[in-house]
Amino acid sequence: MSDAKAVADRLSKVKRLNALLTPLKDLRKSLAAQTAAARPTGVLYGMPVAVKDNICTVEFTTSCGSRILEGYRSPYDATAITKLKAAGAVIAGKTNCDEFAMGSSTEHSAYGRVLHPLDKARVPGGSSGGSAALVAAGAVPAALGSETGGSVRQPASFCGVVGIKPTYGRVSRYGLVAFGSSLDQIGVFGRSVHDAARVLSVISGRDSRDATCEDRDPLRLPTVPESLQGFVIGLPREYFPAELDPAVRRACERAVRLMKEQGASVREVSLPHTPYAVPTYYVIAPAEASSNLARYDGVRYGPRFNGSADLRALYRSTRGQGFGPEVRRRVLVGTYVLSSGYYDAYYKRAQQMRALIAQDFRNVFDRGVDLLFTPTTPTPAFKAGEKLGDPISMYLSDIFTVTANLAGLPAMSIPIGRMKGLPIGGQFIGQAFLEDEMLEAAYALERVVPATDEG
Amino acid sequence: MSVSREEVLRIAQLAELDVDEDTLPELAEQMSRIIDYVAQLSAVPSNGGAKIFVPGPDAIRFRPDEVNPAPLELEPKQLAPAFKEGFFVVPKLGQFE
Repeated sequence: MSDAKAVADRLSKVKRLNALLTPLKDLRKSLAAQTAAARPTGVLYGMPVAVKDNICTVEFTTSCGSRILEGYRSPYDATAITKLKAAGAVIAGKTNCDEFAMGSSTEHSAYGRVLHPLDKARVPGGSSGGSAALVAAGAVPAALGSETGGSVRQPASFCGVVGIKPTYGRVSRYGLVAFGSSLDQIGVFGRSVHDAARVLSVISGRDSRDATCEDRDPLRLPTVPESLQGFVIGLPREYFPAELDPAVRRACERAVRLMKEQGASVREVSLPHTPYAVPTYYVIAPAEASSNLARYDGVRYGPRFNGSADLRALYRSTRGQGFGPEVRRRVLVGTYVLSSGYYDAYYKRAQQMRALIAQDFRNVFDRGVDLLFTPTTPTPAFKAGEKLGDPISMYLSDIFTVTANLAGLPAMSIPIGRMKGLPIGGQFIGQAFLEDEMLEAAYALERVVPATDEG
Repeated sequence: MSVSREEVLRIAQLAELDVDEDTLPELAEQMSRIIDYVAQLSAVPSNGGAKIFVPGPDAIRFRPDEVNPAPLELEPKQLAPAFKEGFFVVPKLGQFE
């Protein structure tokens, strides 16, 4: 099939990015078979969608960027994959990511770092960096990623594409390899708001295999609005601190001006607990990760790293050698904050703070604000290696994105300008299950914002 | 440092994770920085009564108790590192303290 060949050719052209983990030979074979089998009546018929390597597919291996799952083949498809196939889409390979989605730069993959498509010395963001890079390089129109603290929106912002994290419970997590179960959601990358929204609409909706997935119909796509008349957009002052990169600030101010010109009313609001979001996240996410990752022990699947005199030595050597440094660090931090004597001081405290952060959003939305607009990240893409030695500075690149995960709200990043050629993203945060309103505003902004001009 | 080398080793034991002796000082230093950083949460008034926030459905939905086989594409023996006569093969249990 020529379509399958064209997709594979486009992916092979961007091989240097190290964004794709599926060997091209396997991919060509599978694409031909999938294209031939695709349902011609599906709404995504023939659309190639690349998939982050922590989402289970029968077609290709699912390694989560980790040695501990090297060569692992899932015996089933994630619900999102089943829905994509039913809509006629073809799975265009698995994308490189930070190991178990833990990272903000896609430098923590056991299979090497992913290069930024516009500047190979920089990172594409993470953890879904491979998916973002492939969409940005024009190899695929859309890709799936996953979010626990910003892992779709942050790389979307760095790479200059659209990235959507839906409301918690909008998309089934069945077949998404668990990291932080109360935070995880599958998200979507697209070259345009419409491409991303189309894919999101297909993968959303109820699923009896995930009890945390809401019993709701799939998301209905809104039409492109004539104007933003009637929209009340809040600008949370905590997201525009004095130390914000001046180019990011200018690009945001321009986007706000354009939204006002389209009829939106804009007001400053406050989310007072924002400064505590990153520390809260770095207690809750590692705690959940330490529990979720307990299943990797070298017994039922994945490779076994030996030196095993007895069962316990097998667990320890497999986990010690199979997990990379960032995953080891987070499993240890998670075990620490949950351990006897520390639970109340850290985990319980973080749970209380999470409730206050969620309440901040409710307070603002209850006062008539429809949507929030913020920068997605404090700076454009940083240089590879720049933050590797300092975990806290890496964590802080998610400062504007973790809040939506903690509060379970929908949020998205769209390109709003550039600085010295590097993309800048603007973020919308919406009300739970009102993705349609958020998408309307994004459609309207996308139409007028000079996304590839200097901010 | 808030997390000592001995503490890292104790936590690693709880997490069933081998920690390389060479990496221990750096690991203790990084864990200390992370723990010190998140400790700022304890400086905030606790608002002890605040209800815990959990996203997702308010109540667990029950589904009909029907057997719906979900056939797997691969069997356990194709996934396991060691498998024999229907069982996962592991080394002897050893000492669990």
